[in-house]
Amino acid sequence: MSDFLAAAIRIATPLMLAALGGILSECAGVFAVGLEGMMLAGAFAAIIGAWLSGSDLVGVLFSMLGGAAIALAVAVVAVRYRADHMVTGLTANILALGLTSYLLRVAGGGRPIAIHLTPLQAWPIPGLADLPVLGPLLFVQPPLTYLALLGCGVLAIFLTRTQAGLTLRATGENPEAVFTSGAEPLRVRMLAVIACGAIAGIGGAVLSLQQVGTFTDGMTRGRGYLVLAALIVGRWNPWGAMAACLFFGAAEAFELRLQSFGVPVGSYIVQMAPYLIALAVLAGLGRSSRLPAAIGQPIRTE
Amino acid sequence: MSEPTSSSPVAVPQQARRIGFRLHRGDHLFVRILIAVLLSMLCAGALVAVSGHDPVAAFVALVTGAVGSPHQIGAAFNRTTPYLLAGGGVAMCFRAGIINIGAEGQIAVGGMGTAAVALVWFDDLSAVSTVAALLGGAGAGALWAGLAAAIHLGRRVHEVLATLLLNFVALLLVQQVLAGPLGEFGAGFLQSPLLPRASWLPRISPFNAHVGFLIAVVAAALLSFTLWRTRFGFALRVAGHSRPAAAYAGFSLPLLTWSVMVLAGAVAGLAGGIEVLGLHRRLIEGFSLGFGFKAVTVALLGALEPLAIVPAALFVGLLEAGSLSMQRQIGVPSALVVVIEGLTMLFVLAATVRRL
Amino acid sequence: MPELLEMRGVIRSFGTLRANDGIDLDVRGGQILGLLGENGSGKSTLMNVLFGMLPPDSGKITFRGRELSGHRPRDAIAAGIAMIHQHFMLVDAMTVVENVMLGWPAAGRVLRGTETADRIHQVSRRFGLDLDPFARVGDLPLGRKQRVEILKAILREADLLILDEPTSNLAPSEVADLLKILRSLRTEGKGIIFISHKLPEVLELCDEIVVLRDGRVTGRMPAAGASRARLAEMMVGRDVTAPHELSPRIPGEVRLAVRNITVPGLSGLSFEIRGGEILGVAGVDGNGQIELAEALTGLRRATNGSILLDAVDVTHAPVAARVRAGMAYMPADRSSTALVRNMSVAENLMLRDSDRSPYVRGVVLARLPLAAKARELMMEYDIRAPGPGVIVARLSGGNQQKIVIARELDRAPAVLVAHQAAWGLDPGATRFVLDRVIALRNAGAAVLYISSELEEVLAISDRIAVMADGCFAGLVSRADADRRQIGLWMSGRAA
Repeated sequence: MSDFLAAAIRIATPLMLAALGGILSECAGVFAVGLEGMMLAGAFAAIIGAWLSGSDLVGVLFSMLGGAAIALAVAVVAVRYRADHMVTGLTANILALGLTSYLLRVAGGGRPIAIHLTPLQAWPIPGLADLPVLGPLLFVQPPLTYLALLGCGVLAIFLTRTQAGLTLRATGENPEAVFTSGAEPLRVRMLAVIACGAIAGIGGAVLSLQQVGTFTDGMTRGRGYLVLAALIVGRWNPWGAMAACLFFGAAEAFELRLQSFGVPVGSYIVQMAPYLIALAVLAGLGRSSRLPAAIGQPIRTE
Repeated sequence: MSEPTSSSPVAVPQQARRIGFRLHRGDHLFVRILIAVLLSMLCAGALVAVSGHDPVAAFVALVTGAVGSPHQIGAAFNRTTPYLLAGGGVAMCFRAGIINIGAEGQIAVGGMGTAAVALVWFDDLSAVSTVAALLGGAGAGALWAGLAAAIHLGRRVHEVLATLLLNFVALLLVQQVLAGPLGEFGAGFLQSPLLPRASWLPRISPFNAHVGFLIAVVAAALLSFTLWRTRFGFALRVAGHSRPAAAYAGFSLPLLTWSVMVLAGAVAGLAGGIEVLGLHRRLIEGFSLGFGFKAVTVALLGALEPLAIVPAALFVGLLEAGSLSMQRQIGVPSALVVVIEGLTMLFVLAATVRRL
Repeated sequence: MPELLEMRGVIRSFGTLRANDGIDLDVRGGQILGLLGENGSGKSTLMNVLFGMLPPDSGKITFRGRELSGHRPRDAIAAGIAMIHQHFMLVDAMTVVENVMLGWPAAGRVLRGTETADRIHQVSRRFGLDLDPFARVGDLPLGRKQRVEILKAILREADLLILDEPTSNLAPSEVADLLKILRSLRTEGKGIIFISHKLPEVLELCDEIVVLRDGRVTGRMPAAGASRARLAEMMVGRDVTAPHELSPRIPGEVRLAVRNITVPGLSGLSFEIRGGEILGVAGVDGNGQIELAEALTGLRRATNGSILLDAVDVTHAPVAARVRAGMAYMPADRSSTALVRNMSVAENLMLRDSDRSPYVRGVVLARLPLAAKARELMMEYDIRAPGPGVIVARLSGGNQQKIVIARELDRAPAVLVAHQAAWGLDPGATRFVLDRVIALRNAGAAVLYISSELEEVLAISDRIAVMADGCFAGLVSRADADRRQIGLWMSGRAA
């Protein structure tokens, strides 16, 4: 059982970080469909950065840059040029896929460069790690997982207790009100999207740097889209989104367990579980999900 | 609510539009798209130069790889076909304001349907079995899209998420079916047995292109006609401009949504069937990977006009056909083509905002 | 009291339209200045320029001795100017405190929620605003929402308050409360610019009045002793109070019978309209008018009750069926419901009739007959446009509304539901609309004319109903209509 929960947390970590970024973007009024591409770019940049510098920290910093780069494209086209948010996000994902695969091969002189780093080790927290049950589960985790958990609290405080967070949320509800209160809604949205990219990039670093130590084409495999569902289920609230991500992580861990148990259902059907569960949860929520009022609406400047 | 007394901040075409085909737009829509394409090629050239290769040589290899020989041209047309069909269906959805990114799953399911019908149909008359198999594919795709639409309409799940999540399910479904009833034993990888000769699509020599491209062009023309000359197309366009206006006009928005999704699904399913019967002659796992996003690319490049999607799809098809030989000859990774597609789409989006 | 604001020679154009054509304006502390003008006279533009939302093409603005130029709202607020827009700049999903703290540096980078809440309590008590800091703004009635805006202005220590059409959505009792609050602000030494097109209120509240018309100042005088007729003339340029000729008619059969119609926002409404009769519905916007219009025309589903059109039950009929049965509808939202702005004149003319000839042959649209019919309608209804293929967005508001009328009336409907049919139109276009509606009535149709402009309703209705809180607070015939009684009925809504 504790194995199962550990797996759930492990699978959920990249989702959680991406979700934190997604909340920033969507609360400011920009659909975060580009999360997939931001994560992928972050995953790639993390490996390259860590490999070039020999330092994992530099790798994480690079991952933020990688995610932010893709986010910049989304910010310019969707926010500044007012193109449709969803389609722009999709486009950014395609671009990220192409760029990462291309650069991976350019670095390797035509074939994918073979980088194999040691995945990040767990950092046990002295004292807390010895607690029964919770100890090994929550307090013996690799560093980026702690970052994800801390990030939740920081984001919650930021959104509800600071002027900047208030302005960000207001931009997603009524950009005109923000304008007349003295801020620039366009700038707020662009910054929110870029910040989203940086944080989602760290989520990508979890996949590549923390979990396997290498980068493979398209390694995010649609996780960014799953996070979109988590945002809705978690009602754009950091704690809710974290819970939703854990839930999806558990769903996938469950599916992996099922496979190893040799259930009579076909193995591919079993792999559908996370997606079907996500659909079922969204369908169950249906009418009660309430988006930020101005999300997706372009900002007109006089 | 107050009436705007000043000029509208919304970009509107400068010239009146004619009712009917609008290949000549006063606001230089297609010129903008062309510029976007050129810009992205320039960026790609820069990327190639940065990686230490000669951009011009790469470009030449790309072009000769695409159109160098009849065989290669045929291969390009073959690649273009599913993009053209799926792009047309997606464009119709976008026109109605519905973002359908489920083409990948609908193509996969369509391929599955076609293979199933082809394997079961015992007719020796090739035309009949081909048509039946293709219809089976279209039907399967339509069903899959209808499912997404039902989830979207019935439970208010956003259509992007509904179509997207069902993509994953569709791909897994096809894999499961290939591991089971439709699979070929002892093949080593997931594929169906070779489909009966009678169902194969005829090929045009010396190009070695299958007739799917012609089917796709006819389909594009029919879609364009539907969009501009039928009441259904009019309703779609109204709904895409303004949902309250569509309700006021007496159109049923749920019915419109469902219909255009099913239409797009059928067209995508047909594309899947054509891939299976024309190109691979069997059902292979993952044969539709990436097609959904290609469909969106092509739809945007063609400014959501089914007839203009023909050259748009050709552009993408030629790019991809040429990229493999570019990789072989010059050493530039074929992933560059995906970068070009992504950049092109971004520039097109920025250049055509609110004009589509 | 000191000179607060001085605006000299303000010019601002939008394309070829000169919204402000060299305007001078002065406001002192402790003074309420009324800015009077019709829609399109330039009053909102002038205030947007003052507040920094729009840059002027030329002109000088001096506030408290310092020149304001190239400023954004942020700078105007910092200088001491507060603007309360007609459409509130509030975030519905947030509380009063959060709305107050938004963009307010004094609330701190890390927000001081409890401190701000206390200050809100203080100010609220002092000025009689009666606001709960932790209430969700979206749940507040319009009158209270407006007070949140005023609260923000007071807390930010504004010296000049600009109120843009503040009473357009308020019931008479709410208006009285607002005027009281404004007077107490004046006593505190604040300057107030009160923008309105409602003469009685401006005369009651303001110290001085400035009249704008077509971007220019046409009159400037103290409110004491100003005559209504003279002001009206300066606003509009001619005497508009000429009533419409409404020939008395003996009404025919009942064409529209509504029994107990219920919809969220509408509580069990019943009434009848006969052929050759106009039933006018007056009342402050937001009392169930849109719910009524949409329930009748099929855009909203009624949970209870029945609607009979020429004795045919259309209660559960879809929109298209009601159109077939003879119900025409001119919605209030012209730009995105009644018309598709980015489509052509011809396509808009066929918007609701695309399933019948001459527009369609089978499933295919008939292009040539459509263009021909469009030209015919454009001629008959005087729609000024270069051709039927022109995009509707390029036409003026008046011409856009003519398209709507042409479409709805060409069907020779049995019943017309018109909601805010003359909103935002210049006098000529308004005349056109009202004439056509009367012509339809003379031809024997039943008309439900809903409008928040009492003058319009009084001018053309055979019977007048007043809507308040989702039902008819009163119903009188034209002959028995008494303004005071109607005003009382309208104020049925509590602040």
